[in-house]
Amino acid sequence: MESQRGKRLIWKKLGLGLSGFLLFVLALGMMKEGAGGLAPLLRDHLAVTNTADSMGFGLLMAYLVLGGSPVAAAAVALLSASTLSSLQAFTMIAGSRLGACLTVLLVGFVYTLRGHEQWAALTAGILSLLLTGSIQLGSLPMGLLILSRGWLNDPSIPALEGLAAGVNQGLEPLLGPLVAFLPDWMLFVAGVGLVTLSFRLFDHAMPQVRLERTDLGQVSRLVYRPEVMFLMGLAITLFTMSVSISVGILVPLSARGYMRRENIIPYILGANISTFADTLVAAALLGDPRAITVVVTHIVCVAIVSLLLILLAYRPYERAISDALAWITRRRRNFTLFLSIIFVIPVALILL
Amino acid sequence: MRILLCTNGSSHTDRALEMGVRIAQKAASEVDILVVAERDREKKARRMAKAAAADLEAAGMPVTIHRRTGRMADEVVLQAQTAPYDLVIIGSRGRRGVMRLLLGSAALHVTGHAPASVLIAKGRTRDLRRFLVCSSAGPVSEHTIQFAGRLAQAVGASVTLLHVMSQLPLAADAISDDLDASAEELMQRNSREGVHLKQMLELLAAEGQAGRAVVRHGLVLDEIIAEAREGRYDLLVTGAHVTPGLNARLVGDLSADILLAADRPVLVVR
Repeated sequence: MESQRGKRLIWKKLGLGLSGFLLFVLALGMMKEGAGGLAPLLRDHLAVTNTADSMGFGLLMAYLVLGGSPVAAAAVALLSASTLSSLQAFTMIAGSRLGACLTVLLVGFVYTLRGHEQWAALTAGILSLLLTGSIQLGSLPMGLLILSRGWLNDPSIPALEGLAAGVNQGLEPLLGPLVAFLPDWMLFVAGVGLVTLSFRLFDHAMPQVRLERTDLGQVSRLVYRPEVMFLMGLAITLFTMSVSISVGILVPLSARGYMRRENIIPYILGANISTFADTLVAAALLGDPRAITVVVTHIVCVAIVSLLLILLAYRPYERAISDALAWITRRRRNFTLFLSIIFVIPVALILL
Repeated sequence: MRILLCTNGSSHTDRALEMGVRIAQKAASEVDILVVAERDREKKARRMAKAAAADLEAAGMPVTIHRRTGRMADEVVLQAQTAPYDLVIIGSRGRRGVMRLLLGSAALHVTGHAPASVLIAKGRTRDLRRFLVCSSAGPVSEHTIQFAGRLAQAVGASVTLLHVMSQLPLAADAISDDLDASAEELMQRNSREGVHLKQMLELLAAEGQAGRAVVRHGLVLDEIIAEAREGRYDLLVTGAHVTPGLNARLVGDLSADILLAADRPVLVVR
């Protein structure tokens, strides 16, 4: 009986995973087709004309869809349709990551409205934002420099080009009628909606990871080496494809929902790298070498900045993040100021 | 208590010898002094050892002087392996940054390899009147607290137990009251940390020490160092947390971090 239920669960998860993947591929195709006609809308109505604008656009879109991955996928689709430049796609992806952290904060905020412990619900979101923001601050200029100088050449991978051609051919019967009947903007918006749905399906398809059975089950009590937690965050996020899920996996390790800050900080730093895996898959499926270069540049820059911090300046960095977190959560006024800044930034970026 | 004092004639081992003699006069039943012949300081080292031995013998303490040639850190570890010492007392040069990276830390080597507890004399020479014992709420703490309690009782020092809560709430429904609570509040609530602190205070009481408990909130290392400074403690006591095997590769060595960051004597209990 138990094994039958187990088998049924495996098939259900496989089905969800496959459906999610097919939906992801279709959504990418829709976004790419729709993105071509979005240039006037982005340029003339939303004033997305430079890298700051596109970063603000990425942030706002992530707030709207409550997630970063769909927006990052949209960014590579916009690049693939040449609606955005490589530099703009790069900053839009950065914006999507910051926006994704804010959604964690917003979910926490909703919890506090429902009467949960205020800071308990908000801490993970604030910490994610601080870490992602600080890493992006370092990796943004580095990435823009690499891309503008062309230090990472667009890769020519015949197998990927073949894959993209195959995907396009396979999508044609479904995509063709949609392209014929829907206006570009609607195609793009529907694509963003479907890609968001596909990530939800992926989340449900992921197996439950139970770390309490391992030696790391003591992760809430002991202070682990930052390198260990960094690699753990990187590996688990690569497996779950979501930072919020991989951070959520840590929670059951402590019966009271606590985790040592020495352990969480490097864990989230590692997770911030592998969270680009799905965007890399999107770039590969689009078969656009420029999109692959942009995503790889992101991964390389975030990895370099994170590793430099962990290996050379970990204690001061950890202290600065911990102090900032303490300051934000000390008074309601501080938190309100922090939240205001976070909301004003994307608008300011677009207005720049 | 059998104590091993070590010198190679350098100024930092001189300070360690001075502190060691003060401790040994009150706490030791038997003292060995190791003279390590390094470079051209052997004569000075011998002279220092003889002076220390004379002070101890005057107090009726049996003293044996040993002589070894080689690198200080290696020779201390080798000597510590020859007899069942309870405590090894060494000095620390206090190398920092690139110099420590290049030349290593003798104190770290000894604490990592000697089979006994190691007291590293750092900073200015001082009488040990106030002990700050770092308690990790793990099984290592019991032995650490018993040892610190015995030593404190012998030298007439007071003991404060410090537990640092660096935890953050990750779950929305986590009850975060404990994350701001004082030691007294935690003990009243019988939370996990509170129960642990009560048990540790009972252990201290069994050693004849009426200790008190302090809880701080923040990063573990920073809070330990801050408490040591603010409370003007004379000795920081920590357990040798890292056990060989997988744990040694996964868990950070907090005692090593404390040893490197502290500006005062540190006792690493094994």
